[in-house]
Amino acid sequence: MFSLQGWIRERVPVGPEQLRELTNEPVPNHLKKWWWCLGGTPAYLFVVQIVTGILLAFYYKPAPQTAYESVRYITEEASFGWFIRGLHKWAATMMVAAVVLHQMRVYFTGAYRKPRELNWLVGMCLLLLTLVVGFTGYSLVYEQLSYWGATVGANITDSVPVVGVYMKELLLGGEVYNDNTLSRFFILHAAVLPVTMAALIALHVTLIRLQGVTEFHFKDEDPKKAKFFNFFPEHLMTELSIGLVLMILLSVLATVLPAEMGPKADPLTTPEVIKPEWFFYVAFRWLKLFTGTLAVLSMGLVVFLMYAWPFIDAQIRKWRPKSEASVWIGIAGALAIIALTVWEASVAH
Amino acid sequence: MHEHERPAPSPAPTASTDPAPADDRRGFLAKASSLGMLAGLGASYGTAGVFAARYLYPARPRAKAWMYVARIADIAPGGSLHYTTPGGEKVAIARQAQSGSIDDFVALSSTCPHLGCQVHWESQNERFFCPCHNGTFDKSGKGTGGPPGDAGQSLPRYPLKSDGGLLYIEVPTESLEVAEAPPPAGGHDPCLGPHSGPHFGPHLGDGARV
Repeated sequence: MFSLQGWIRERVPVGPEQLRELTNEPVPNHLKKWWWCLGGTPAYLFVVQIVTGILLAFYYKPAPQTAYESVRYITEEASFGWFIRGLHKWAATMMVAAVVLHQMRVYFTGAYRKPRELNWLVGMCLLLLTLVVGFTGYSLVYEQLSYWGATVGANITDSVPVVGVYMKELLLGGEVYNDNTLSRFFILHAAVLPVTMAALIALHVTLIRLQGVTEFHFKDEDPKKAKFFNFFPEHLMTELSIGLVLMILLSVLATVLPAEMGPKADPLTTPEVIKPEWFFYVAFRWLKLFTGTLAVLSMGLVVFLMYAWPFIDAQIRKWRPKSEASVWIGIAGALAIIALTVWEASVAH
Repeated sequence: MHEHERPAPSPAPTASTDPAPADDRRGFLAKASSLGMLAGLGASYGTAGVFAARYLYPARPRAKAWMYVARIADIAPGGSLHYTTPGGEKVAIARQAQSGSIDDFVALSSTCPHLGCQVHWESQNERFFCPCHNGTFDKSGKGTGGPPGDAGQSLPRYPLKSDGGLLYIEVPTESLEVAEAPPPAGGHDPCLGPHSGPHFGPHLGDGARV
């Protein structure tokens, strides 16, 4: 008698036992609490972005003459277009927040230390790509703020000594924002960056599997209790529950605070009050405080130090094994970011 | 019916009994051919990469042309006019001296040299203001505050030339689709006067100095 299971097993020689073994990574007990599971949140939101992004791309037309009208059509005429665009916008916002929170958790718990330095580097790439994908996506709407945001962003690259001018022209497809610019932003936003991110997420997860999840020891834990639990199905259920809560939250935000249409881009008039998305407030304020090249180079230095932190921290701990420098530096950095963000948010100029 | 069976693996190559120099020759040839193949692969992929980068890099600079502005004799020393480029950018052109040379004239761009936003004139503060990062410029376009002031930047100037008593300006002729004309702003520009729509060409101002 024909057996479908047998037919598949002959062609895909992996059994349920092997599958269970593959997925049953032992998970440390602290991951039973949802706030330790923030790493899975951006991954879940990334999938939401891929799905809603594909749906938006069915109608979006990346050209200066058509972009704004196509976004207006999605928002005001296409059935549930307002909802899908709202999900995409809010998932982007939450993804940035989730990546930052995840990185802060990794930082303050020292989970970037040997032998996980390489995964910190991969995570840093994912943080920057998340910001760039947010920037390019915001630019696609072709509103006043998105147009001028794109112009400022492209000119920031111009401030990089020597190669900046080439980077800017490569990004814009010309010396200034022109008819080729939006299609470049669209290809970056909808193809190049997501594919790169998907590959890096796969590498990130692979490295976590190879190294294992960082174990933490708490004072109040029962030494007789098992220190690990199974990934499948226990941890998967936690992740699915978080996903469900995220989906409810996204739906509420997309409905109560829907994505709206601002004034159409006018390349001849910069609005009197101009702000980027909230996650760029820090950089925007920084650019007001210092001259272009100084601001860009200092931001580049901060990013470099963030990349190199596991190795710098290792040196510090070699000199002073009980040093808490990383905690104090982290607190100072977080406070600086919050202060600059609040400052920028609270003033018009 | 018998299933197809995989052919038995061929026996492992036995150790050569050739003398050492032949081994050296073979080893050298194997390494050289591997290196040659790697070099070929690198060169071909590298060439493809250069082609791709060149393809993505803009093929030509932004098109520019010399455009007629006005008769030089019609602009008195101290006088100014505003000029709108084919792309719609506003340019303040002023005559600052009466030597008779082209150096008498300046043509100020409204694009901020900091990060490319459009400046506007604030009559109450007697300055050009960039809303992006709070850059300020005086009437002559010199940076006075914000990042452009700190960096000693001024508003960019367009090239001008005279020919047969006529004034010409070199401006970009390509632009994005021009948006509908915005409603007139409340501020008054000493050089530009009230903006009057998307047409391009010169408009005589009311004589304020820049």
